Amino acid sequence: MTEKYDAIIIGAGVIGAPIAYELSKMGYKTLSVDKLHDAGEGSTAASCAIVRAHYSTEDGVATAYEGMKYWLDWANYLDNVQDEKGLAKFMNTGSLLIKSQGHDWRKVKGHYDAVGVAYEEWDNKKIEKMIPVINMWEYWPVKRPEDPAFFDPPTQKLEGGLFCPEGGYVNDPALSTHNIMRAAEKYGARFKFNCEVADIRSENNKAKGITLKDGTQFDADIVVNAAGPHSFKVNQMAQGVFETCNIKTQALRHEVMHCPSPEGYDYLNDGYHISDGDVGCYYRPEVGNMFLIGSEDPDCDPQVWPDPDAFYAGEGGPGESKELSKAQWKAQCYRLGRRVESLQVPEQPRGVVDLYDCSDDWIPVYDKSDMDGFYMAIGTSGNQYKNAPVVGRMMAELIDAVEKGLDHDQNPYQYELKYLKGRTFDMGFYSRKREINYNSSFSVNG
Amino acid sequence: MRIYVCVKQVPDTAASIRVIEGKRIDERMTFIINPYDEHCLTEAAKIRDARPGSEVIAVSLGGPSARDILRSALAMGAERSLHIQSERPHDAMETARILKAAIDLDGKPDLIFTGRESIDSCGMQTMFRLGALLQIPVLSNAVDVDIQEGEAFVSTEAELGSRLQYSLSLPCIIGAGRGLNTPKYPTFPDIMKARKKEIRTLDLQDLRFEPSASSMELLELRTVAEDRTPRPIEGDPDTAVEELIRILEQEARII
Ligand SMILES: Cc1cc2nc3c(=O)[nH]c(=O)nc-3n(C[C@H](O)[C@H](O)[C@H](O)COP(=O)(O)OP(=O)(O)OC[C@H]3O[C@@H](n4cnc5c(N)ncnc54)[C@H](O)[C@@H]3O)c2cc1C
Repeated sequence: MTEKYDAIIIGAGVIGAPIAYELSKMGYKTLSVDKLHDAGEGSTAASCAIVRAHYSTEDGVATAYEGMKYWLDWANYLDNVQDEKGLAKFMNTGSLLIKSQGHDWRKVKGHYDAVGVAYEEWDNKKIEKMIPVINMWEYWPVKRPEDPAFFDPPTQKLEGGLFCPEGGYVNDPALSTHNIMRAAEKYGARFKFNCEVADIRSENNKAKGITLKDGTQFDADIVVNAAGPHSFKVNQMAQGVFETCNIKTQALRHEVMHCPSPEGYDYLNDGYHISDGDVGCYYRPEVGNMFLIGSEDPDCDPQVWPDPDAFYAGEGGPGESKELSKAQWKAQCYRLGRRVESLQVPEQPRGVVDLYDCSDDWIPVYDKSDMDGFYMAIGTSGNQYKNAPVVGRMMAELIDAVEKGLDHDQNPYQYELKYLKGRTFDMGFYSRKREINYNSSFSVNG
Repeated sequence: MRIYVCVKQVPDTAASIRVIEGKRIDERMTFIINPYDEHCLTEAAKIRDARPGSEVIAVSLGGPSARDILRSALAMGAERSLHIQSERPHDAMETARILKAAIDLDGKPDLIFTGRESIDSCGMQTMFRLGALLQIPVLSNAVDVDIQEGEAFVSTEAELGSRLQYSLSLPCIIGAGRGLNTPKYPTFPDIMKARKKEIRTLDLQDLRFEPSASSMELLELRTVAEDRTPRPIEGDPDTAVEELIRILEQEARII
């Protein structure tokens, strides 16, 4: 006899786990399946886990700010559950958005005001005082070191930045996901690992359950795709779903570098998270007194869209595989090296490479589908870690409302934010049917 | 003082090695400067800085990608560099002859640094062969170097925990060990300066060196998969700490 659940969630990453948690809190009997061996071991494990408020849309800012409240209140969110591995920690370093041509910071500032995000204006002098290793020259536009113009001397200064005292990163993203799993289990949620989904079963356009690669079947009338970089493959397993999404998802390779902090500067304890569109990088402290350097995907950088199965199997040559490439190591470290001239750049690349589950407009798809009972929380585009607890609640409420008869496509679900009281969020924003949202930054900045 | 530093490009130790045609490493993978050579460059720069008028010259034998390594060596402090172009493999005997010929052509060395070994072939021969050809003394695995008038005082690490102190007449060859220093990596301004420094290209044909009477050829290169499965240390904290100390003392031999 096949096991029967109310809802099956495919993927136990930072997106799937909170959906299971919130659904079980609402009384749904859930099963989460993941092909890996534990929660959060997919792309979540490689996440920079930066939690910051700036986004290119007001709703984006509101959701991120709401998400931050969960991270600040982590034990409470988890219902004070015990996790034998310990709890993940939110490192509230504060977050600086450098005003540059690389970010539409005026728009962001307007959104901060509208949402009520706490921030301060820092001028160059203040920034150079707070971060003594930094210089505030302008290097725009972002270039690659292969381009001789990369080495041109700067001629003018930037205009300071917007500093949010709330902001930082979570020290262990995989552990945070594990924490959510333990919290969900308290409400009866089940998690099964080493289970690869091979098929979504349906009858008369109604989801019926999943079949694993080894033939095992689990039944449920609700199936949620939270498969991260594999999301498009899972959508293809559900009859008619992939074709009827206007917004598609695809896996994008992303390299993150770890470069030692300059001698004598304790970036780990004194540093901030910084978004620096002027050099196309974001950076934050990392254990071992390192600068963790992510890329804001400037236009001059190559984009690589590998097949996720081949990528995770270790295939692909330099610049395509799970190994850092020297060219990108140089690009990201030298870019930061312009901003922080005392940064010493070792020869040997260090860091991580993983995949974004990127949507056409870099805005996620949190939605139902054209198949009844089949839902998706996908297209997280390198920037939804911070929002995961909000996404969990939002998806659970959406699923519950649709199952109770809401026609979400016609009449989108209005989600009430839990911390930012009085603010509702039109979930139609995340619709699979939307036209591409040109307000998006089309980058990891969302 | 004129200080030569022999540098070699080696595959990135963090990357998975791909072997092609049974005896070559896929050149498309990431190559880095041999880590021991970084210690050489840092030490050479320190010695140079203490003696006005001195210069550090990096030397490398290899294909076009050896230039990248030389560029890195220049960023790490070398004044100029010699690139001996060659696309084919050379055994240690020939490498030593070629390096000698290049150095002879360029100038008179007061001091030569090499890494104690290259982490890809781990031959540990080139420096001794070069020393024999130049008829100068060689010491390997140096962890401390002090240059005085015409003399080098060098400490080497022989076995774990034991140090030997030597005095060598100059010129001499010193093989850098890990304990020599903490490599000083280039900053952006160093990288900027390195772009303008010279890489002198030498063709193998232009170098006059006598072929060695015998030779050595690599027949096959195979990758070995190492088992990196971690072994949990079990038991209550007291037992676990004791076990950890035992491992550090007896297996890792680091305390
Ligand atoms: C390098 C990197 C840096 C990032 N930095 C940040 C950041 O600083 N801030 C931020 O907010 N966001 C960041 N992100 C984005 C954020 O981390 C991701 O959006 C988020 O982790 C995605 O979570 P997920 O649960 O959707 O995906 P995953 O964690 O990949 O989870 C999906 C799970 O589905 C499983 N799965 C897939 N297919 C199947 C199948 N057929 N059967 C069974 N299981 C399956 C996988 O095994 C996997 O565990 C970053 C992402 C990356 C890659």
